[in-house]
Amino acid sequence: MNEARYPQWAYAAALASLPLLTHARLRRLIAHDKPSVVWNMLQEKERPLPGFKEDTWRVWCNVPQSVLIETAELCIDSNIIVTTNRDRLYPVVLHADPQAPAVIFSQGNLEVLHQRRVGVVGTRTATQAGRHFARTLGESLANAEVCVVSGLARGIDFESHVGVFRATAEQAAPPAAVVASGLNKVYPPEHHELWRRIASEGVLISEAPPNAPAETHRFPLRNRILASLSEVLVVVESRARGGSMITVREAMKRDITVMAVPGAPNVSSCEGTNLLLRDGCAPVLDVEDVFVALGLDTRRENRAIETRQMPTADERAVLEVLAGVPRSIDEVALLAGCSVVNMAVLLGRLEAKEWVSHVDGWWEALLH
Amino acid sequence: MYAAITSATLLGTTGVAITVEAHVGNGLPGFTVVGLPDEGCRESRDRVRAAMLSSGLEWPNRRITINLAGAGERRGGAALDLAIAVGVLVAHEILTPESVQGLSFIAELGLDGSLRPTAGMAPLVAAVHHSTPVVAHGAVRESLLARPEKLRAVNSLAQLVQVLQGDAPWPDVDMSDVSIDNDFVPDLADVRGQASARLALEVAAAGMHHLLMVGPPGAGKSMLARRMPGLLPRLTDEEAFACAMVRSAAGVPLHAGVVSSPPFRSPHHTMSMAAMVGGGSGHIRPGELTLATNGVLFLDEMGEFAPTVLDALRQPLEEGVVHIARAHGSVVMPAKSLLVAATNPCPCGGGGPGGCACQLPVKQKYFRRFSGPLLDRFDLRITLTRPTTAELTSSEPGECSAVVAERVRTVRELSLARQGCVNSAIPADVLDEVAPLSEDAMSTLRSRLDNGRLSGRGYHRIRRVARTLADMHGHAHVIDAQWVEVALSLRATFNAADGTFR
Repeated sequence: MNEARYPQWAYAAALASLPLLTHARLRRLIAHDKPSVVWNMLQEKERPLPGFKEDTWRVWCNVPQSVLIETAELCIDSNIIVTTNRDRLYPVVLHADPQAPAVIFSQGNLEVLHQRRVGVVGTRTATQAGRHFARTLGESLANAEVCVVSGLARGIDFESHVGVFRATAEQAAPPAAVVASGLNKVYPPEHHELWRRIASEGVLISEAPPNAPAETHRFPLRNRILASLSEVLVVVESRARGGSMITVREAMKRDITVMAVPGAPNVSSCEGTNLLLRDGCAPVLDVEDVFVALGLDTRRENRAIETRQMPTADERAVLEVLAGVPRSIDEVALLAGCSVVNMAVLLGRLEAKEWVSHVDGWWEALLH
Repeated sequence: MYAAITSATLLGTTGVAITVEAHVGNGLPGFTVVGLPDEGCRESRDRVRAAMLSSGLEWPNRRITINLAGAGERRGGAALDLAIAVGVLVAHEILTPESVQGLSFIAELGLDGSLRPTAGMAPLVAAVHHSTPVVAHGAVRESLLARPEKLRAVNSLAQLVQVLQGDAPWPDVDMSDVSIDNDFVPDLADVRGQASARLALEVAAAGMHHLLMVGPPGAGKSMLARRMPGLLPRLTDEEAFACAMVRSAAGVPLHAGVVSSPPFRSPHHTMSMAAMVGGGSGHIRPGELTLATNGVLFLDEMGEFAPTVLDALRQPLEEGVVHIARAHGSVVMPAKSLLVAATNPCPCGGGGPGGCACQLPVKQKYFRRFSGPLLDRFDLRITLTRPTTAELTSSEPGECSAVVAERVRTVRELSLARQGCVNSAIPADVLDEVAPLSEDAMSTLRSRLDNGRLSGRGYHRIRRVARTLADMHGHAHVIDAQWVEVALSLRATFNAADGTFR
């Protein structure tokens, strides 16, 4: 029974759904022969292929045929495209990666990855200034026709893609997102809207089969694909021991340029990025730094357009005090030399104009 | 054979006069108390018997029946011991009915025949003010809080019998009026920096706006809250006595007697609902809410209180009284306090900017404990940060409590003269009249309403706070845009989307 009754992608999806699977094992399975051939070997309980352990193979042999149909139906229902590294659509950049996923699940248009690509990652618990920076960075990159690759996590990842969709340029680049869970399992759930939008306008990629939950171990694996898909990786804010640092290590292994946004020294969500800078990583003060790293023409005017109402002279003085460092209202008033009442008025006006942000008692300037 | 003795029992924070009837007759020797006595009162049978025997008095080996007249309501308390003993003595004809004429008896008996004070002496004495109360010597000070015209005090049952039989005179009682003392309240000058929190405290005191402080440990939330009583106006004599009566009823020791500083109550977060609003089995005791009347109720670590306890606060805070209903009756107790609450911004305590590593669902769960309606009771919701070294070491000490209290008093007088109530209690329908907004102020509020930063409910509260702020700065009529801006900055909201207060 060596004929394929279903399309090859269905067999590939079924193989990617096997238990006890690692990306190395899947690559070996797919490399052996066409997915249908390998699947039928398992169904007929043939001898293990060389290099596979007896007990793993036995578990795989006991996977029922129904998995094949169920997985295929899930993919069809959720418009998930299954691509193996034998397909033409498979992202070219991943071919060079020794740890590439042999089968990828995607929603949207994989050709989005043919553009210039910059990975933007960072902590989930970012400061408001960091979030703002990620947003403007995403917007400027999209305007310059650079695809923003991110992980759709809370915080920086989310904001960078929000920025992409703010881009107004005609040729704005659609974004790419690499997620850890199955593509029909939105995680975190509050990003449902953005998730859907990226799937329809850009591309959503995962190596996990549909219905795979967002388990902890999947995130570091996701990070390696994210790093692999980026030409330049920008870390906006990261804790000293954060998930973004895993992405950074994966990028360094692959000789991908890593850049970091400097942060205030006393802010714990900037510790990781500041450490990277100390270790000689290139700083990003402006989107132009990223363009230079990509070798793009920086003469073009492709920054995000400033739409906010300009601050008055008094308000500008407050912004100067706040620049780069989050402060409490008492501290700002002390440094600016005015009463708390007047400072509350000034900060209130600046907040209405969206030049400052206020969270948990800390005021931050949103410059750039 | 029969005697009727006046005494009093406690119902919530007030005393109720009752008649203790005693009957000693033929029959199988026994001692029963009828008339819905509570547990404490049933125990008094044994105390009364032992006290009489210890005092060298004859115990009637006959059928003794005590009735707490006015059946239908459960009552009791150890304060009835003395009345029961005197009733038995009169019914057994050791004392004459004439000797107890015009007297009422309120004291607990010891097994040795000594008289002891009980909780709630002040309201109990107040309930029998038309007669001459006889109390324990140790209870004189507390009893005088009720300002009775006459008061008798004895040390023991034996002494009382001697006096009533005419063998000894009544011992002297120092009837000098109770002085009103000032309790020690920490001063605001001790607080360095924290200018915005000081402002919030002053506004809270001036307009009786409930205050919620959100900040990491070490930000000085408790320190600030403890200084609140010093900013509030001193209690009037009437309020001071009422406050002392409530404390007496709750059995809270009156170390300083009557004090004119507003009470400060800071209950622990493990408290039960009955401890908060009042209640309990048997007789209904006042809760912390009532004890804090005319003062400050401080809830530290509000996130740790049981959600039911917090939600029970909502209605009393609005009405100024608390109704406790039980199967056998209901009581109404005062509950007009300024609520000051403190909480951490998240379970980890937050700390510096971007310093909180709590996951979003954890933060959301933490704040789900505070129901929207409860958070809405707080006109002022401020976020605090740990003061910086520069602030802590700044050589300028802040204003002292007395200066701020003076301004608070001025605003209170102004608002009472204008609308007859404190600013936080201005009814919504007269807001336009007493708190008119300038053109600019209106447009500021409108823009905040439009961009969703302000709810319809918050709108009125902002206007009341802006009224207080304008009053504090001598702008007695039209409210300027800047006061609305400041009021808005003093009302942080919890943002469920990213689990932050802003």
